[in-house]
Amino acid sequence: MTALLTVIISFLGAMVCGLMPVGSHRRIRWVALLTAGLGLATAFCCALRYSGPGMADEINSTWIASLGVSFVTGYDGISLPLLLVTGLVAVSGVLFTWNLDHRANQFYAFYFVLIGGVYGVFLSLDLFLLFVFYEIAIVPKYFLIAIWGGAKREYAAMKLVMYSFGGSALVLLGMLALYFGSGLNTFNLLELMEANFSGGFQSVVFPILFLGFAILAGMWPFHTWAPTGHAAAPTAASMLLAGVVMKLGAYGCLRVAVGLLPEGAMVWAPWIAVFAVVNIVYGALVALRQEDFKYVIGYSSVSHMGFVLLGIATLNLTGMTGAVLQMFSHGVIGALLFALVGTVIYSRTQTRMLDQLHRLIDRMPGIAWVFIVAGLASMGLPGFSGFVSELYVLLGAWGSLSGWIVAAAGVGILATFGYTLVKIHEAFFQGSTADSEGSKGVEQSDYPPMTLPEKAGVTLLLGASILIGICPWLLTNHINGSLELLIDRLAN
Amino acid sequence: MDYQPIFNALLPDLIVVVSLFAALGVDYGYMRQASLKNRANRALQICSLGLIGGLVVLVLQLNGTLSLDYAELLAATHGQLMLSPGTLALKWLLFALGLAVLPLAARNMVTVQVSEYFALLLLATLGMGFMVTSRNLLGAFVALEVVSLSLYALCALHQTSRASAEAALKYLTYGGVSSAFLLFGISYLFGVTGKLDISQVVPMEEALVRAPMLVTVAYLFILVGLGFKIALAPFHLWAPDVYQSAPTPVAAWVASGSKIAGVVLLLALLSPVSMPSVNTAIIPMLAILAVVSMAVGNLGALRQVNIKRLLAYSAIANAGYLLVAILAFTEEGRAAAVYYAVVYAVATLGAFAVVAILSDRLGREAQIDDFRGCWKARPWLSLALLIFVLSLAGIPPLAGFVGKFYLFFAAIQSHSQIGYWSEGLYWIVALALGFSVVALYYYLKVLKAVFVSEETCKLEKDSIGWPSGVVILILSVITVGLGVWPGPLIEFIGQCLI
Repeated sequence: MTALLTVIISFLGAMVCGLMPVGSHRRIRWVALLTAGLGLATAFCCALRYSGPGMADEINSTWIASLGVSFVTGYDGISLPLLLVTGLVAVSGVLFTWNLDHRANQFYAFYFVLIGGVYGVFLSLDLFLLFVFYEIAIVPKYFLIAIWGGAKREYAAMKLVMYSFGGSALVLLGMLALYFGSGLNTFNLLELMEANFSGGFQSVVFPILFLGFAILAGMWPFHTWAPTGHAAAPTAASMLLAGVVMKLGAYGCLRVAVGLLPEGAMVWAPWIAVFAVVNIVYGALVALRQEDFKYVIGYSSVSHMGFVLLGIATLNLTGMTGAVLQMFSHGVIGALLFALVGTVIYSRTQTRMLDQLHRLIDRMPGIAWVFIVAGLASMGLPGFSGFVSELYVLLGAWGSLSGWIVAAAGVGILATFGYTLVKIHEAFFQGSTADSEGSKGVEQSDYPPMTLPEKAGVTLLLGASILIGICPWLLTNHINGSLELLIDRLAN
Repeated sequence: MDYQPIFNALLPDLIVVVSLFAALGVDYGYMRQASLKNRANRALQICSLGLIGGLVVLVLQLNGTLSLDYAELLAATHGQLMLSPGTLALKWLLFALGLAVLPLAARNMVTVQVSEYFALLLLATLGMGFMVTSRNLLGAFVALEVVSLSLYALCALHQTSRASAEAALKYLTYGGVSSAFLLFGISYLFGVTGKLDISQVVPMEEALVRAPMLVTVAYLFILVGLGFKIALAPFHLWAPDVYQSAPTPVAAWVASGSKIAGVVLLLALLSPVSMPSVNTAIIPMLAILAVVSMAVGNLGALRQVNIKRLLAYSAIANAGYLLVAILAFTEEGRAAAVYYAVVYAVATLGAFAVVAILSDRLGREAQIDDFRGCWKARPWLSLALLIFVLSLAGIPPLAGFVGKFYLFFAAIQSHSQIGYWSEGLYWIVALALGFSVVALYYYLKVLKAVFVSEETCKLEKDSIGWPSGVVILILSVITVGLGVWPGPLIEFIGQCLI
């Protein structure tokens, strides 16, 4: 029951925030922080209490008996890191939008419906329930972007929702095929894992399910919703999108598609690996060409999600551990980068165009250093979580995929180094302060330093990345244990 | 012959008939000099009382206080009264939805013929009640005509509007032709079997197999006729005009009540051909209708700027979805179709109710853009519209999602093991899922106007009035409730069909 509290708290928080009057945004943000904090605390409790590799905290009750739908929740080592990252991003999202006063009650209502849906997906052990939560998470995204977003927000919001909903239509079709293909008359994931799907069935249904989920994970060539959506979204929403929502797709790929249809996964894994590598390299190269800082981060998300997909495609323990760890790692770092670019820097400079940011290092040294550290974390330097996860993925890929794939992924890593360093240079070190003074005549004083909520948010996210970078076993032990159960089936 | 059981069975209808005439009498006698508003309120009270009385008696019949011998009634009336818990519950639902329409009609009197407005609404409700309980080909046809004629007249009630008259005329012409088709089909069916009572036709498999061509032609005509009534493409051309130009409560009633009744009648008429030996010729016809309806409805809705027209196209699309389940020709499929018709009717009635309340002081038909910034002025109504529209779009945890899921579930279940993509109903489910993505686009367009825009709402802010407020509250609670906890209703429908 503990784990389910995350969902309940989020939905209750959404209701309370929604019912509060528009004008009381000061009180609303405290309620929001409390809700998100309680969610994180619950996720943390789950993490502390979790031992063994199997499912913990299982709840099983019938829901719609005649359709074979039951209400089954629980979590294991695969969902645990994702619960944690959801909690972390939710809290820091509130912290980074601390000054929001425009329709704050509705903002947090949609925000927490989204978060509740995300928690729900990670906890569901029934396909129908998982799908319900998956779709609950879609609609709030539309409103978060369309109402509070920046330029081109209505286009970006609609595009994002269309892609997500298209993906979920594929998932629904695959789900029904699983139900009737298994002959067990249940949507229960754990029971479906016992089903004997024929090889032919698996190789037909697997791509449908995988593609459905992978669209939300930002798989090339269905990634285009991600950069536009991220760039147009308000900070808290783009943090959630990059940090958690893309993980929903990856989680579905892993838990449902690979977990239930291992033979199908074996057939299609080489293709997925190719797409994943394209993701990594293409995302990185496109990021290199972007002028808008938020688009840079948006494409870097696409690139990083490529590592998650590559890890899944390895189908071995090392690679898939890396995939799950990368979901956590990119969750915190992606969210942090979006927060820094979308709120911390933008609220001070009022622009996100790289050529208009002149030597920010002189005028916001503290923030600049924080961003540089975050950028290094994103590059996957040792000491940060990204290093460990990418290492795992590459080691896994070395074991099971062709050398060309690994080589191409290596090129992707180089490109990641390239765009990170180039963009940091463009934003913080290029040009001179005098230049802009001359051209614009704007008064050039130092920008105000980070506010307390911003510092708290940065500490939370960067701290998590460093902690896992130094002590990866905190998560990998659990991830490994649960993945072994899944991989045993692949071996058979 | 003993008339007492028949009297007991028809007591709910009798009460409604009495209230219908009472409303007419009071309005033309006692209330003659009163103001329009008072007359509307009095007619509303009398008619509501009548429907509530009918609902109470129906509950008594359902729980057995007023005992009915279903089999004896069926035999005594030659299939014209097929009462069972299922049909009685459907009749109850139709009366209840009819009751929900009345306060909406009373809010905005578009005509001076106050009592006719209400009397016709009740007459349509009565007809729908008979449509779901009749299993006699002629009885059902007469009931259908009672509904249709009342609705034609209701559409024309907006006397100051030329569009309303045009829509009514269109509706009448199309409807008349479709009735002719339906009657022709029925006569062929009668010719094959020699029976008017469908419940006796069902076991006549040999007779149907013997004359496959005749049966196919009969059902072709029946589908054309009923296709008009439930707005299946390509027989939908009347729908957008009627939905747009009829008084909004009437449009709501056309969309909700007559849809449920029409679907139930369609299921009853299709029941003789549900065996695989005879339905091979019918399935392609239904499949074509389903695909064309989904395509025309969903693609047509994309371009609409008028909200009622958009709901009309959504009705066409939803009629297409319904056929997907009917195509399955299984118990599960029938249950899914009934469930979907119910949740669709509730959601669309709710959406029309909100539109009616928000726009009936506008003086013209509401465009989607008229709702811009509505969240500021009418937050609760906007929330209700959000619920109804998302339910129509099939977003969980709302009733429309479970309805759609159940449709697809039943369709695939009918033939779940396939060797090739075109076998079974996977392909049509995939198509329906694709169209539901398209549908989300135009539903979100409505919600975008309501919630995203920061403009001040141009719609006048008058009070909702408690009867309409209660109606919207109940409809939204049902929409959420049937999404979160659909089990009991699904099971009830399942039991009733067996």
